[in-house]
Amino acid sequence: MTKKHAAMEIENLRKVYSTKKEEVVAIKDVSLTIPEGKFVSIVGPSGCGKSTFLHIVGGFIEKSSGKVKVRGKEVEKPGPDRGMMFQESALFPWLNVFDNVAWGLDIQGVAKKERNEIVEKYLKLVRLWDFRNQLPSQLSGGMRQRVSLARILAFDPEVLLMDEPFGALDAQTREEMQVELLRIWSESKKSVLFVTHDIEEAVFLSDTVVVFSGRPAVISEVIDIKFPRPRDLNLYKSAEFRDYRNQIWDMLHQEHHKPVQIVSEVVNG
Amino acid sequence: MDNKPLRMIAVIELLAVFLIWELLAGFQWFPTYLSSPIAIIKSMGELWADGDLLNHIGFSLFRSLMGFLLVVIVGVTLGILAGYYRRVGTFLDPIVNTLNPIPKIALLPILMVWFGITDTTRILIIFLTAFFPCFVATRDGVKSIKQVYLWSGQNMGASTFQLLRKIVFPVTLPKIFDGLRVSLGLTFVMMFSSEIIGAANGFGLGFLILNADLGGRTDYMFAGVAFIGLLGFIFDKLLLTIRSKVLWWDVNKV
Repeated sequence: MTKKHAAMEIENLRKVYSTKKEEVVAIKDVSLTIPEGKFVSIVGPSGCGKSTFLHIVGGFIEKSSGKVKVRGKEVEKPGPDRGMMFQESALFPWLNVFDNVAWGLDIQGVAKKERNEIVEKYLKLVRLWDFRNQLPSQLSGGMRQRVSLARILAFDPEVLLMDEPFGALDAQTREEMQVELLRIWSESKKSVLFVTHDIEEAVFLSDTVVVFSGRPAVISEVIDIKFPRPRDLNLYKSAEFRDYRNQIWDMLHQEHHKPVQIVSEVVNG
Repeated sequence: MDNKPLRMIAVIELLAVFLIWELLAGFQWFPTYLSSPIAIIKSMGELWADGDLLNHIGFSLFRSLMGFLLVVIVGVTLGILAGYYRRVGTFLDPIVNTLNPIPKIALLPILMVWFGITDTTRILIIFLTAFFPCFVATRDGVKSIKQVYLWSGQNMGASTFQLLRKIVFPVTLPKIFDGLRVSLGLTFVMMFSSEIIGAANGFGLGFLILNADLGGRTDYMFAGVAFIGLLGFIFDKLLLTIRSKVLWWDVNKV
């Protein structure tokens, strides 16, 4: 071990969609480094390419050029080193909660006894152990996303990728989920790359907020959020919180009128 | 889940049809070759008492169910591959689209040349007809799978084979059953058609009907038709039962 790698390093990532008539640059040479154990959010207007960016890091969408490294190892395909949480529930409707969480462990050939212990541990962590025999269709949207989180944590990825995981939830459930996520995250301390269009959600959760401006996606600003942890919902009411929020809000709305071209920025750990 | 009144209506409807049919026959408004329901039921009883009926049913069922089994294996497998791999789908499309509209019974003489007047010919003609609904339903079902299911599977390190077996297959099962139900109906339709060859000897409900025709026994012909209908009904119910057992998780299940 000569050099300690960052959790995620994205270098000059570019995504070009080719149609018959033209080439559309969706992501233009974005570089971003997520240090170990940090919670980093990307905010940006819808359609700015932030979700595409995350899907490329996850290996679900092919990049046009650039590099994606997880702990120094370059990635091309989806893999269990990156746990991806999607906006819509990706739980398998034909399996109950327990079997959903056990699925990835079975794939990786974890012995049954150990597997059961892991499933129990994470279902208890998300406080849904009592619901282990229920089907996903019998759960609320918030509960489904908690199961999704348990399923991802169970196969022990090196980093977490989250694509607007609470986007489909109502405002109150979303706030509860944010608190839950921070509690669970504080126990696992895995690095998180979190995509959202909700500025307040990003400020509340993150160590660093990366502001994307759209079409093509470039990083227009990187803001460190200097609130101590653990955080609770009272944070929403503080003046500093509103300052952060307004700062980012202004940035997004400026973007709307006159796009600036800062090609890349690096988050330093 | 109040099905009782509906079921009552169905029973009353059936009884009414039989009653009117019986009355029309009784008043002799029907020609004699349209046997009355009671005469048909009597004939069914006679056929039942005569030992050969079980043989007829047995051979017919053997042919239908062998054809259906082939449909399940080949139709579902090819459907999944054609839906998942675009190249397989593109390769099979022209073949399927040209064969599908052909009345498969037109192939019977050709199959007879190849395989003779045998059960192989009969089972193949049943299979060829019943294959398409199952194949098309499976293929389209696979094509409409939510992308996040596959992504999740890949995310958890599943191989392509594991994706197909542990995600694609179970999530497509409701559509597969829809297709199989149509296919099962067709196997009973084709069972009769396949038995119009070599009717002079051998067993099968199709033979029974044709022999009754030669003997001028319309009541036996109707009885044979009724037995085919009865078998089709029973096996459809059986398939639905299996479906609701297998798809216990499906909120849209019948």
